[in-house]
Amino acid sequence: MTQDNRSGRPQGRPSPGDSRLSRVEAQLRGPFLLFFVSAVIWLLVASVLGLVSAQLLRGVSGEVFTYGHVSAAQHNLFIYGWAFNAFFAINLWLTSQLGRFELRNAWLVSLGAIIWNVALTYGALSIFAGDLNGFSLLEMPRTVGPVLAVAFLLSAFWPIVAYAQRPTGHSFASQWFVVGASFVFPLAYLLAQLLVLWNPASGVVQAIAHSWFIQNLLLLWLGGSALAAVYYFLPKVLGRNITGYYLASVAFWTFFLFAGWTGTASLLGSPIPVWVQSVGVVGSAMFLVSVIITAINFHGTLSTQSGWSLAWNSTTLRFISFGAVAFTLYGVLNAIFSFRGFNAVVRFTSFSAGQEQLLTYAFASMVIFGAAYFILPRLTGSLWPSAKLVHLHFWATAIGALGSISASLAVGWQSGKQLADPAVSYAQVLTASAGLASASLLFAILLLVGHVAFALNAFGMILKSSAPAAEGRHD
Amino acid sequence: MTNPKLLIAGVFLTVALPFGALLLSSQVQLGDLAPAPEEEGGALYPATVPGLAVQGRDVYVSLGCIACHTQQVRPSGQGSDIARGYGDRPSVARDYVLQSHVLLGDRRIGPDLANYGARVAPAPKGAQTEPEKAATITKSLAAVHAAIHHGNAFAFLYEADAKGDFAPERADALAAYLLSLRQDYSSPEAKLKK
Ligand code: HEC
Repeated sequence: MTQDNRSGRPQGRPSPGDSRLSRVEAQLRGPFLLFFVSAVIWLLVASVLGLVSAQLLRGVSGEVFTYGHVSAAQHNLFIYGWAFNAFFAINLWLTSQLGRFELRNAWLVSLGAIIWNVALTYGALSIFAGDLNGFSLLEMPRTVGPVLAVAFLLSAFWPIVAYAQRPTGHSFASQWFVVGASFVFPLAYLLAQLLVLWNPASGVVQAIAHSWFIQNLLLLWLGGSALAAVYYFLPKVLGRNITGYYLASVAFWTFFLFAGWTGTASLLGSPIPVWVQSVGVVGSAMFLVSVIITAINFHGTLSTQSGWSLAWNSTTLRFISFGAVAFTLYGVLNAIFSFRGFNAVVRFTSFSAGQEQLLTYAFASMVIFGAAYFILPRLTGSLWPSAKLVHLHFWATAIGALGSISASLAVGWQSGKQLADPAVSYAQVLTASAGLASASLLFAILLLVGHVAFALNAFGMILKSSAPAAEGRHD
Repeated sequence: MTNPKLLIAGVFLTVALPFGALLLSSQVQLGDLAPAPEEEGGALYPATVPGLAVQGRDVYVSLGCIACHTQQVRPSGQGSDIARGYGDRPSVARDYVLQSHVLLGDRRIGPDLANYGARVAPAPKGAQTEPEKAATITKSLAAVHAAIHHGNAFAFLYEADAKGDFAPERADALAAYLLSLRQDYSSPEAKLKK
């Protein structure tokens, strides 16, 4: 795949005349690799923990590795370890490409990377030690919060600086999404920390604050960053314009406008005011507007001039178009299952885990992989060591993701249906969903295999490029 | 889209508006809720819980029980929680006002626990003698400790005390906490059907 694309040259690689990195990219290389290597390490750790937690559902346990600890650590490390580090890197690179931004203070970014990952390590260890909170993705001890916020600003505030200082008047859709995402997260994170952990709001208002925070984190920061990458790589690699590009600004504004209102749809039936729940339902339906426009932009671009087959033959686009399709599916599913009738069936089941995975894995993570296949060869100046590993990576993660998401959705629906009937006992529901435990174990193994393949390839390439002999190499 | 100030201001509003509309106004709506009597002059509910139960709550959080258990009963139009016996009435915001950090939970791998105490130790019908009371308490405690084990998963809570026949501190506190979980009183927002 890497070796045999149409130009005969591994894509993403600088053209022969351009043997040295541009100055902009050279400045970026250090912090980029620091983020990227941390991201991949956390991905591996989270995948192993995913395996452990799938096993624990079958009843193995101990004081440190209780299911609650393992699943919380897995969730936090996957999001804050893998996805955040990866988007710190990608957003920085996108910014430098689109705005001709020179990163003069690379050391500040590296400092941010170090603080972020040290604080995260401390947070994860605290979870295992039993020092954790009861709100998902805010489980780490509250002292970690402000440190992460500072590290975020050091690592991810640059796109905003670059945008404000950019020399030309013109700007791109990718830039808006990166700027918006980088701006929203620290704000939402600090407010949520305050209202949920430091100075808790009254009773269930904490749950409302939490649901609002989760949507800001997953949709606006992760989703927004991933959309930025799709808006960049799709036209870049295909060498054509986005279909209906004039709609992209509508997509941007509707995305940011409605995402913040969707959160409380996850609290249907909870002891919070009914109007707050209804706002969430309406928000999720309105959010579809941005999903539809991005679908027109992405799938429209891919559907003209045999775009799909070109995308299939490019490693980067194979991952990225997978992600683009996943985002559309996510938006539709999210709107449908925000309606009270459907939500009543699937709420509290594995269904919502499946929905989240659709967003964070099938969309965001696949886009990260695609971007990495494009950017890393440019920054390291070397090739992906093994095309076989690239294939293995794609198939293992694509099948693993589809499998584990469908299993969560299907089993969630099925056990929801069973629970709706009070005559079915809890034990019966548990037996019926036992298949999920074995299936999720299987798919967790597959995902781990894919991630190891990716890590071997990426680390191999980075090591090769930093070896002194690399200077005079021929390839 | 070319003016950075406009972009940032717009994005700021998209964060600030839901925050103000959803969070600040629910805080205004719910911030003053306090325990209320079932009937004029009666005892206040939710009742304050004993100190041991407060400690047990920390154990509950620290062991990650929330990964598998919720503590909220949805109204009968929204799911079958009441039909399943998770409670006799839906949970309401007032039920949570005494909790510094609410533990609503968002995943049910195990049953809902909002009324676990009421399920395992129902209020006695009619008067009980002292020995009868003691026997009921022993029986419900035994049921709670059996439930905490989850097969072998949480057996470590009981390992410390090798010689005695009574459970060690953390398990005791956890049991007291689980017994304190009850929403079996009438609240101004949700009356119990008598
Ligand atoms: C891996 C998920 C999981 C974790 C973690 C977990 N539980 Fe459970 N719990 C269950 C399941 C499943 C059942 C139902 C068992 C059955 O009915 O056989 C259950 C049942 C219970 C019950 C009995 C409920 C009833 O209505 O009979 C109690 C009480 C309970 N758990 C408390 C706890 C406490 C306390 C913790 C933390 C120390 C905890 N659970 C952690 C899954 C879990």
